[in-house]
Amino acid sequence: MSCISPQETYCEEIFVDGVEVLTEKQYWAKEPKYKGMIPLNLLRRMSKSVRMGVGTGMPLIKKYNDIDGIIIGSANGSIKKSISFLNQIVEYDEGTLTPTDFVQSTSNSIAGTLALLGKIRGYNNTHVNNGIAFESAVLDALLLFEEGEAKRLLLGGVEEISQANYNVDVLRGMFKKEDVDSTNLLFSGTQGTVSGEGASMFIVDSEKSVDSFAKIVDVNQVCFPSKEEVVERAIAFLENNNLSPDDIDGLFLGYNGDNRTDFYYDFLQNQLFQDKALFVFKNLVADFYTVSSFAMWLVASLFNGKNLPKETILRNTNKKINRVLIYNHYEGTQHGFILMERP
Amino acid sequence: MTKVLITGIGIISSIGKNVRENRKNLIEGNTGIKEARLIDSRYVDVFPFGEVSYTTEELMADAGIKGEKGITRTDILATIAFQEAFRDANLTDAQVSGKDTAFLSASTVGGMSMTDQLYRDGNKIGEPSDYLSSYICGAHTLKLIKRYEMQGISTTFNTACSSSANSIMFGSKLIKSGRAKRAIVGGSDGLAKFTINGFNALRILSPKPCTPFDNLRSGLTLGEGAAFLILESEHVVGNKRVYGEVKGYGNTNDAFHPSSISDDAQGILASINKALEVSGIKPEEVDYINAHGTGTENNDYSELYGISKIFDKVPPFQSTKSYTGHTLAAAGAVEAVFSLLAIHYNELYQSLNYSNPIPEFNLSPIPTYENNRCINNVLSNSFGFGGNCSSLIFSKA
Repeated sequence: MSCISPQETYCEEIFVDGVEVLTEKQYWAKEPKYKGMIPLNLLRRMSKSVRMGVGTGMPLIKKYNDIDGIIIGSANGSIKKSISFLNQIVEYDEGTLTPTDFVQSTSNSIAGTLALLGKIRGYNNTHVNNGIAFESAVLDALLLFEEGEAKRLLLGGVEEISQANYNVDVLRGMFKKEDVDSTNLLFSGTQGTVSGEGASMFIVDSEKSVDSFAKIVDVNQVCFPSKEEVVERAIAFLENNNLSPDDIDGLFLGYNGDNRTDFYYDFLQNQLFQDKALFVFKNLVADFYTVSSFAMWLVASLFNGKNLPKETILRNTNKKINRVLIYNHYEGTQHGFILMERP
Repeated sequence: MTKVLITGIGIISSIGKNVRENRKNLIEGNTGIKEARLIDSRYVDVFPFGEVSYTTEELMADAGIKGEKGITRTDILATIAFQEAFRDANLTDAQVSGKDTAFLSASTVGGMSMTDQLYRDGNKIGEPSDYLSSYICGAHTLKLIKRYEMQGISTTFNTACSSSANSIMFGSKLIKSGRAKRAIVGGSDGLAKFTINGFNALRILSPKPCTPFDNLRSGLTLGEGAAFLILESEHVVGNKRVYGEVKGYGNTNDAFHPSSISDDAQGILASINKALEVSGIKPEEVDYINAHGTGTENNDYSELYGISKIFDKVPPFQSTKSYTGHTLAAAGAVEAVFSLLAIHYNELYQSLNYSNPIPEFNLSPIPTYENNRCINNVLSNSFGFGGNCSSLIFSKA
């Protein structure tokens, strides 16, 4: 797996050097130097999300052979290229434009570019379903494995910030008006959150091997639920996997510091997981549509023997974390569950 | 494993705002491609378009959502086709909103069809518009989920021009896996300055109505539209009318170029072969190919190359884009509806604007309407930017 985020995750420095405190309202991805990874002429033309997708995906493609397909969740794709093309249309009054930004603007340019560079001609799909785009991508992968149509897939979640969609979301009241740094974000008690971006990529296999360190057991999603329905859904989801809440050791929750919608997390953990370990992640990377892919990266890192930074731990238990439920929602509208365990 | 049956269809395109109107125009050979009347673009004088000939406000009144704020062109087209589809299948409200009904849509332009509004909001010019929550690709899906209180699995695909073919594939797979009993699948794209200028910048818009598979073809014609299909597991269909069965599907990547297809059609060959393999149908059993057939130099050559490799004797084929224009993310679902009509009524539609074969292949699309043979199996192709290739096979149930 590989991760670019607003923290130093690309070379996993975060587990050694700790978490960096962020103070802006946008948590920008710390990108690696792509030199040597992507030819410079291609790099210059790539959108940030394609660049981050290639920067995380290509090393995995080169390292792991026989990848049967690529599945990406990215709600906004190369939104900055889209907006740049759109600005040109209006500003040049539909004059003569170059097509590069248009071609890159479509969300599937991440999966398409990875297929092109890695010559991966199998299954290729892109889910853009807002706050559960990554959960949908995970479901897509599970289905292919069940059908026996793939043995190994590249699965990822990618999102980039553009000034224009940030502006639109500011107008919608998505973000905090006051200044708040990442240490106080989750407990700010005010409206809104902060905006993040990043890419997390995973090689997922249908069969366990000596290299496996985490298992994605199942995924579920629901739109516009009440908090009681979220609890019902969580119970049903676990039951469907022959589990009860007591079988969960750790809960990864998408708290983002927005006092209008964080109550979902409070309610779920109080109702079902009162004595379980609790983890958070948006104080590291802020909120974005496919942020649950970052949570998955954290869980997989934990299972791979890493000590998670203390900033992620909301409540500790002495019990070893063998099984985890990730619960995240976007704006309280789309809610996703991902169940993971040690293989 | 359960069969996946189609029990309802809904469509809006430049040849009509429901299935009946679309079929009538297909039979009569009437194209919807003409000078655009509604879209505000300087290119309406330069290129013809497959524009839906009703305003967004007129369609909102039809859909029973008159006066609602923030409804984009993509939203309203989706709503119209969605409503027709679930009514056609006689789904109850409880079935539409049920946990075991999946809703899978697709769009490429989404709410960016409101190009000028997004420009103003994105650049903080003037008062905020009503469309702040409408721009993103998945917005139309989420709005329908909210309106119809849908609790099942949902997603939105964007694989460019193959998007809604993937909705149909994914819905079929969810039903076969037992995760859903029903799936409402399709896609929507409104005509937009954004896509008009994009395809113009690529220099693949045709100055005359598109001429698929003609040697003198000069590019594609942009259209708009939406279509949805109701897929149901054979175990819940009962004695409903069934249009056909989703028999096979294939999704591959050409891995050749960001915006064109390889001449040796690797992705196309692989997606058709995969769909045939899943369906268990032999090439000679395919009675009709609803081709992607955009009318561009590149697509039509590569598609015919692929088809002629797989089919020793190429079955009747044509492109309904000569009627509707290229409806982008909606194309896979729009053409699935046309494929199902062909199966259900045992008829084939004329390919319009064709006169000269491409010399390398010497293959001509369907020349006239016919309804004198049994159409059992149809192959429908959709290919997109980013190398995405999807093929579907529909069969008589």
